[in-house]
Amino acid sequence: MGSAGLARLHGLFATYKPPGLNWKHLRDTVEMQLLKGLNAGKPPDPEHRVHFLLGPVEGSEENELTLTATSVPSLTSHPLVRGPEFTRLKVGVGHRLDTQASGVLVLGVGHGRRLLTDMYHAHLTKDYTVRGLLGRATDDFCEDGRLLEKTTYDHVSREKLDRILAVIQGSHQKALVMYSNLDLKTQEAYEMAVRGLIRPMDKSPMLITGIRCLHFAPPEFLLEVQCMHETQKQLRKLVHEIGLELKTTAVCSQVRRTRDGFFTLNDALVRTQWDLHSIQDAIQAAAPRVAAELEKNLRQMPVTQQLPDPGQPRDSAGLERCKEH
Amino acid sequence: MALEALTAGARLAWRLSGPGRGHRTAAGRPRSRREAAEAEAEAPVFQYVGERAARADRIFVWGFSFSGALGVPTFVVPSSGSEPGAGLRPRRRIQPVPYRLELDQKISSAACGYGFTLLSSNTKDVTKVWGMGLNKDSQLGFHRSQKDKSRGYEYVLEPSPVPLPLDRPQETKVLQVSCGRAHSLILTDSEGVLSMGNNAYGQCGRKVVEDEVYSGSHKVHRMQDFEGQVVQVACGQDHSLFLTDAGEVYSCGWGADGQTGLGHYNSSSVPTKLGGDLAGVNIIQVATYGDCCLAVSAEGDVFGWGNSEYLQLASVTDSTQVNVPRRLPFSGVGKVKQAACGGTICAVLNGEGHVFVWGYGILGKGPNLVETALPEMIPPTLFGLTEHSPEIQVSRIRCGLSHFAALTSDDAGGTRGCGVRCGPHGGPGQVLRLN
Repeated sequence: MGSAGLARLHGLFATYKPPGLNWKHLRDTVEMQLLKGLNAGKPPDPEHRVHFLLGPVEGSEENELTLTATSVPSLTSHPLVRGPEFTRLKVGVGHRLDTQASGVLVLGVGHGRRLLTDMYHAHLTKDYTVRGLLGRATDDFCEDGRLLEKTTYDHVSREKLDRILAVIQGSHQKALVMYSNLDLKTQEAYEMAVRGLIRPMDKSPMLITGIRCLHFAPPEFLLEVQCMHETQKQLRKLVHEIGLELKTTAVCSQVRRTRDGFFTLNDALVRTQWDLHSIQDAIQAAAPRVAAELEKNLRQMPVTQQLPDPGQPRDSAGLERCKEH
Repeated sequence: MALEALTAGARLAWRLSGPGRGHRTAAGRPRSRREAAEAEAEAPVFQYVGERAARADRIFVWGFSFSGALGVPTFVVPSSGSEPGAGLRPRRRIQPVPYRLELDQKISSAACGYGFTLLSSNTKDVTKVWGMGLNKDSQLGFHRSQKDKSRGYEYVLEPSPVPLPLDRPQETKVLQVSCGRAHSLILTDSEGVLSMGNNAYGQCGRKVVEDEVYSGSHKVHRMQDFEGQVVQVACGQDHSLFLTDAGEVYSCGWGADGQTGLGHYNSSSVPTKLGGDLAGVNIIQVATYGDCCLAVSAEGDVFGWGNSEYLQLASVTDSTQVNVPRRLPFSGVGKVKQAACGGTICAVLNGEGHVFVWGYGILGKGPNLVETALPEMIPPTLFGLTEHSPEIQVSRIRCGLSHFAALTSDDAGGTRGCGVRCGPHGGPGQVLRLN
């Protein structure tokens, strides 16, 4: 069971991180559950050794010793002797989420960790829903931080909020074009702009490709943010700055990632599903989509930035290395 | 601050009774949620916006500034700035990003001419129009010079009030201003159209005077004999167009390219009604800036006349000058809402918010498209249409001599400034967003 299970376990899958859980603890929990699942399988039948036992001859009055050949199970591969078959499993984490945020967290197992690097270099956008509360300012931009100031917010209307969001999106659009390092006078750049693909394929500060207000009921408002190269703390700071632009103050009460690249909430596994079989199914289900999207992004990247091909097939579905016992 | 007083008192209580539950920690943070809620309830509430706060309207200027057309004197004459060391700064040739102009009045109409700008307000005050920039032909009116009281300024560096000879200055409102190469038109609601500036070809609507000196001239001509009320004026390079509420178009000025549309190639100094394909058609908008003119009818058809050297009217004729308005039968454009015409470029906006361009120059469809006689649609993704925001539509388009500008709006009612910068001002052949 063990090695066959391990063979189907190379690849990427998405989990749902609840708020309040450190991403490292999530990764450790998933690793532990996978190891439990791999080790729970029925161990293979033990080998038998031929052992010559010294014993008295039956049916003889004299004390004669003779050797009898018996087949005895060998204990060298017994789990109680050697310990569990799998003790460590290499699980990597994609774009991290801090403790108070929640949402889609992509993990990679075994050879799938290479795909994590590919996903990082594809520089895909992520979707967040950010909930804000008007009227308070705290030191860490969260609801439970130290209160700095309280302000009135009756003057804030949906129209003003939309206007501020339009200004934010416009300035970030300009930054997107600037950090993408494209020569705008070329036909190639024009075609990329027509398809909406202008984005930086290198390091850059947080860039927002789309932001809009989904729900506005003062003091609460809900934003949908599509961004790249961000940290959740910067998103909370964004809420704080929106409050300042509206001539009031705001804190962020929830940051939830709804999409990371091509993994959405539908693909994310909840805590009750962090076991071997669900994870294996999730990896197998996501594998073709992952391969297709990464291939598409690799083709669109400028040639100077593509990583050298390591000479091995990239998709995890092709790696069926079954160790025969 | 209330918080600090509470901290001091709590620290004293801690020392007296020792650490226990419900007391503040040494850092001053309340240990229990109840204490935090109490502290928060006591904190003062700040109000940054008054009850009657109104949003200030803003004017932003950018572009070539040596003629003073931007209205910021320190761009042209840095030593007029108030800060020390201002005189050592060089003068600013181009203002590449929008710069906010400090004006108290609410401006309702603005027009850019060739090196000068007019701003007008819909107010009943005596001062309704401000002008800045080149004034060598008195296109901004007469601005008395401070140094020599008998002469006027040739360059006006700040938005200065334009004196208008109105009969009822405290009742008449200025609806629109328009600027051409060296003349300007001011449309009022009850006193007709006023024109100022160069009249060498009759573009101001009055008889051409031989060897007239336009610099420092006080002459402002009023035109009132149209059949109906004038609802829109448009200035071409050296000609003028007037649109009445009856849907008729009048023109005067230079006609060597046929831009007056009156059937001849001579100048005309009296506003005359246009015929041709426009006869009997209800026109709702006219557009011109160079030597070509476009008009949009209520049914969504486009009519054009004037210069066609750059394929602006090549869809109906091969000749390079058209002096009678012709209908341009474009099939894939839909119902046209607005037209805009530059020096060599033309654009229309249809009812669905799509922009179509044709002509010659940087058209906005990449560096490979340099000229076309038939309209081509600019992909809506260049105006910000994405899966994230699918309701983005273009609501207004305008043309400069060699660049376009488009304003988008989404259904939520907000507007975003979005510029199609296709021109010599660092122009890529593409859409960039301004804000």
